[in-house]
Amino acid sequence: MPLEGTSGPALTAPLSERAPQGASALQIAAALGSMALELDAALAPIIGPRGVMALWQRSLHLTSAAHPWLSAGQPGGLSPLDTALLATAVAQRDDHDATVAVNALLQAFHELLASLIGLSLTERLLRTVWAPSLALPSSGLPAQDPTP
Amino acid sequence: MSTTKVTIHRLATGVPGLDEVLGGGLPEFSFNLIAGQPGCGKTTLAHQIMFALASVERPALYFTVLGEPPLKMLRYQQQFHFFDNEALNHRVRFINLSEEAMAGNLDRVLHRIVDEVATHAPALVFVDSFRSVVLASEGGGNGHNQLQQFVQQLGMLMTTWQATTFLIGEYFTETDANPVFTVADGLIWLRQSVHRNSMVRKMEVLKMRGQPTLAGLHTYRISDAGIQVFAPAGLGGPASASASAGASVKASPVRVSLGVPELDQMLGGGLPRGYSVLVAGPSGSGKSILAAAFLAEGARCGETGVMAAFEQRPNQERNRLLAGLIDSGSVCLLENRPLDLSIDEIVFQLLGEIHRLKASRVVIDSLSGFELALAPTFSDDFRGSLLHLVTALSNAGVTVLMTSELEDRYTDLRFSPYGSAFLTDAIVVQRYVEVESRLRRVMAVVKVRASAHSDELREYTIDAGGLQIGSQLPDQEGLLGGRPTRKRPPKPPAVAGDA
Repeated sequence: MPLEGTSGPALTAPLSERAPQGASALQIAAALGSMALELDAALAPIIGPRGVMALWQRSLHLTSAAHPWLSAGQPGGLSPLDTALLATAVAQRDDHDATVAVNALLQAFHELLASLIGLSLTERLLRTVWAPSLALPSSGLPAQDPTP
Repeated sequence: MSTTKVTIHRLATGVPGLDEVLGGGLPEFSFNLIAGQPGCGKTTLAHQIMFALASVERPALYFTVLGEPPLKMLRYQQQFHFFDNEALNHRVRFINLSEEAMAGNLDRVLHRIVDEVATHAPALVFVDSFRSVVLASEGGGNGHNQLQQFVQQLGMLMTTWQATTFLIGEYFTETDANPVFTVADGLIWLRQSVHRNSMVRKMEVLKMRGQPTLAGLHTYRISDAGIQVFAPAGLGGPASASASAGASVKASPVRVSLGVPELDQMLGGGLPRGYSVLVAGPSGSGKSILAAAFLAEGARCGETGVMAAFEQRPNQERNRLLAGLIDSGSVCLLENRPLDLSIDEIVFQLLGEIHRLKASRVVIDSLSGFELALAPTFSDDFRGSLLHLVTALSNAGVTVLMTSELEDRYTDLRFSPYGSAFLTDAIVVQRYVEVESRLRRVMAVVKVRASAHSDELREYTIDAGGLQIGSQLPDQEGLLGGRPTRKRPPKPPAVAGDA
């Protein structure tokens, strides 16, 4: 279902800074895991952990239409998303499937948030997660795992 | 022995009109409550104050508790012009406390607030909504004591952390023995008054420690720009007595022309500058034409004017003279939405335009439309509203012409509707009379305060050049009865008789 309110293209390759082209499914799963933690750190203080979880559930629901395996085994309903299970599901796919599905999931998350609070505010809040290089312009270092 | 007393700095809230109502701004480090029913703009007011006051050096923390979900709050509040996306996580920080509040433990809520305050050292702290804190505390069994402790500690801590604090609350009733009322330095109450299809928003500052606030209810409006409070303006000045009933008024030695030379003569040489004149007459008698002539004469003398139109008619039907004045910029036209205006809002608009244009002439066309444009909640005290309007304009030093529809009655002699004659300095009355099976118009000056004026009843006509005032009708008597009769020839000429 198309989302309204996104007044420009969301970042088209959310994983571009996290996983090099041709990355393995395992690397994609790790990148997804680290981004999930960073998204939580960026958003939960503002909208609450339940707010972040609701965004994940909706994004997963939207993405599962094309990639049903993403939500396989997820508890559904009001239960929190099991990100570890999600990462495991990604790691078990072939590299191409994993890249396409995780990019779609992250993009759905971004578009969903933008449809609710607008693109500019979304990008302001997610800037460091989506494009860490913008936050650390001089580092040139590969993405680091967030500290717990 | 000399002592150095503390100076309480006052913060400009950034909400137009609010600082005046607060009595000069918001005291720094004060602990304030913004209360009111859902939908009255509490969160909007809080955000507007926050974005106006927060800076990198003096950041703001906005704690959301359980009320409006933060996502929705961000979605809707960013529609306001004051909402600055770039301020987020920079000079403004939103912090969600729903997890702590849902646990029902106010200590946890308080600890989290203190931790965040210690981390970010804010100058401004907002807790939205406080109602949810109250509800959360009620789950614990000893809710009232917990709440009291929470409020007292929060108030004490925030003041010692040098933060100006706001609790945003819902559904409070003023008669509650709510502990927050005692602790709070300031209580700002927002209300909505619904009457038929009109809704008027009103604000009251019930308490603001250390400074005199403007008492009573003050209307406010919410637009894309945020909240605008209409503080009473133009009252209480040295000239305010001039418009009040029975006051002794010194006629200005300077007289202004109404644009109709014969009428100026009837007024005793024009209208004293700064006076208000009421032109009362039935429909079609030429009141608006006289108003246009008054503004045109001002423009001819290099003066600007403001016209407040409360009549519902499309622009193209306005008379050509007025349209030209508006096009040339000599006159600013204020057209008003009907039904939901407060007198303070109208006065605010008028004074704003008067100051902007340095206008010296104002037309209110008409009082009948003005009465309709007021929200029904103010209609009960129309004379009070009218007095407020006339006083504010009088204090601004402008010369005012007001028109008023006067119902044609020949059984009683009326010179103004609403019993409002005492409010204005001068009155001109227009009437229809039947003479020889023709409807003819007559005009008289009923009153010019503290000035001699004509007592003649003069016939006038309206043509392309405007009002043309002719002579008296000396051969007719009983004009004000509507059906004059020709006087008998043998009798000597006399002043027109009464009805």
